[in-house]
Amino acid sequence: MLKRLNPLTVLAAALIWIVATTLVFSVAFQSGALILFAALILVLGRISPARLLLLMIPFALFGFGFFTTNVLFRQENAEAVAVFSQSLAESDAARGGLILFLRALAGGMISLFFALSIEPVALVRALMAYLRLPPRIAYALFAAVEVVPDLAATAHQIRLVEAMRAGRPLRRFPTPGELFRMVVPLMAFAVRRAGRTAIAMEARGFRADRPRTLLRVPGFSRLDLIFALALVAVLGLGLIFA
Amino acid sequence: MTSAPLRSPEECPIAEWAGTRVTFPFEPVPAVGPIDLKVRRGECVLLLGASGSGKSSLLLALTGLIPESVPATVAGKTRVAGRPATERRPAEWSDTVAHYFQDADQVLCGMRVEDEIAFALENRALPAAEIEARVGAAMDLLGLPESWRDRRSLSLSGGERQWVALAATLVQDADLFVADEPTAHLAPEIARRLHHILVASKGERTTLIVDHRIGEAITAVDRVVALGRGGHVLAEGEPRRFFRDHGSLLEAEGIWRPAASELDARLIDAGIVLTPPPLTIEEALGQLAASEKVTEVLGAFLAERLPPRRSSAGAVIVRLERADCAPFLGKPVLLGIDLAVRAGEVTVLLGRNGAGKSTLAASLAGLLRLKGGRREGPAGALVVQQAEAQFSQGSVREEIASMLKGTDAAGHAEKTATVLAAYGLSGLESRHPMTLSQGQKRRLAIAAIDAADRWSLVVLDEPTAGLDAAATAGLIERIEALRAKGRAVVVVTHDMDFALRVADRAVVLAEEHVAAEGPAQAILLDGALLARHGLKASAAALVRRWLDGEGPC
Repeated sequence: MLKRLNPLTVLAAALIWIVATTLVFSVAFQSGALILFAALILVLGRISPARLLLLMIPFALFGFGFFTTNVLFRQENAEAVAVFSQSLAESDAARGGLILFLRALAGGMISLFFALSIEPVALVRALMAYLRLPPRIAYALFAAVEVVPDLAATAHQIRLVEAMRAGRPLRRFPTPGELFRMVVPLMAFAVRRAGRTAIAMEARGFRADRPRTLLRVPGFSRLDLIFALALVAVLGLGLIFA
Repeated sequence: MTSAPLRSPEECPIAEWAGTRVTFPFEPVPAVGPIDLKVRRGECVLLLGASGSGKSSLLLALTGLIPESVPATVAGKTRVAGRPATERRPAEWSDTVAHYFQDADQVLCGMRVEDEIAFALENRALPAAEIEARVGAAMDLLGLPESWRDRRSLSLSGGERQWVALAATLVQDADLFVADEPTAHLAPEIARRLHHILVASKGERTTLIVDHRIGEAITAVDRVVALGRGGHVLAEGEPRRFFRDHGSLLEAEGIWRPAASELDARLIDAGIVLTPPPLTIEEALGQLAASEKVTEVLGAFLAERLPPRRSSAGAVIVRLERADCAPFLGKPVLLGIDLAVRAGEVTVLLGRNGAGKSTLAASLAGLLRLKGGRREGPAGALVVQQAEAQFSQGSVREEIASMLKGTDAAGHAEKTATVLAAYGLSGLESRHPMTLSQGQKRRLAIAAIDAADRWSLVVLDEPTAGLDAAATAGLIERIEALRAKGRAVVVVTHDMDFALRVADRAVVLAEEHVAAEGPAQAILLDGALLARHGLKASAAALVRRWLDGEGPC
């Protein structure tokens, strides 16, 4: 069902909630946001729980870093944390760490909700049609989004080659050393990929300064209105009870 | 930017290179040229040449992509429809020239399939209804499944991407269709569709094709131009006369020629002159009447295309049992596969685009974890389709050296020189691997594996794509050498003549399973079986059928 929403509706909802989770320091609010968007992804997006858990691993590691930093080095960072929230500075270390951990998870979940709910090219079309985003920027944005799965595929190929050289099967997860060795080849690939995409677009007549037809511009429906109102209402309730 | 053509369209060629010379930065000699070449309207021209002879550079220079998007110096005059190429930006030429690149990723931008096909038409601001109609027509023309419309192009297999890229280029309906190795990764049935398109639009569409193995589409070609290694025109002419008159020259230069041309030369040596000179084996066999002399010539032709007698294969190196094979992070595409590869044996994996050949290849090498079943045996080496993914060093020499780490350093220089010579890469030692042509990259990727020589199983995914005739012949020799050393070799290919020449066993994949498996000759000479799975019969299979008394095809 999420794919039937206009990408701009999804974008706006995600942005509002990201801002809210950044500003509200409450275990209940962060947990609520996390559960809400996980439910949306699982139920409406029909993503398997296993896949969602896998995708959340980087955010969990990121959040865990916040948690341990806050618990172990509270004395050093209390001043910096106080800048964001007096309530956090007043709470105990574990509680502060937990909030930061949950915020990373909630932020990650909202980002995944956005990424899994939209078609990049539909977003680009909507941005050009409704927000008059110049095609040059819109397609650059699109290319940037598209390079992510492409980078993943290339990283996989590089890991295949490394596994082959080492004479072992491909590891399920790369080691830190493997990740480090992939940085330069992946950057080189990203540069090459960008060049190829530019040539592909140029050869097929893409010109930023010329009018173009926009096919299949996503429209707004009653579903968008219901979805937006529901999320805003839930947000309002969350802010009241936080 | 809107000045009128210098001459009327009827008078001027659609594409013209006059003394054109392309030189890349830091390279002492031009990659191509100086070259003089014209493509007239309505013509279908085939540009042949050894890999690295600058064919792709020549095409990129036509619409100014070189030097606008790819840094290089272009000298001489290049014209499109009578106007200097530099008069318009490369994007503006898209209404005149549809450019199909060697690498499908240079055509596709990563959108959904129907968006990819519509992109060029959207850029021309055509009415939405017309775009929808033309996208549908292009998909029909190439037989693209309707269910693919919403699939993202990056989720497709290499061959499937090439298929979509072809549709995305043909939909432009430009005056000139330029195709750089359009059939390199295509399954034969799709290549056949391209052939039908070229034949159907003969005289209407102007086409310039660069390819190493164009197959039966050669019958749609009006003129063949061969480039030498220095990027100069060696010879040109009408295909039938061209291949008969210049066969020896092409062979000496390592340039591809149709199997029919080789058979024609043999027949001429035996005093049999076919009229007109044949372009396909079917044409040649159709002109022959059974006689002792003909049987002798055909027998010799067939023997040359079959592998020499070999000793039986050794012990099992790798075995898959009830294996469910899936791409990384993907769902299984093959279920319950039972397969064993043996020492001193070459196995070819065949099937339509997207049948799961590459996934099975990586699973056999032990590089992809199985979703079900089990694999026994040591990890193998894999040369992936995108050869560049294998490179991590700054020069060709270092790329080989990196694979020799852990072996006796004293012999490294000699071993590097030997393997580079064996793969026709001598003289390129200091070049950065990414600056090589596609064919040279592929050869380097295989050479590096060969040099290391530490795997009992070597898997090659589409090893002949982008290779010229000489490089393909060299590759056959290297595979024979690996076999002689007791290595198990697995090859994924669409090149049936190559498969027949190297393979001991063949495996055909279809609908998530092994559809056929057995001795290579039994599979590869079984025309009905191949046709059932969208595969093309090799030249040898057609000759064998004729010799078996089933008559001309």
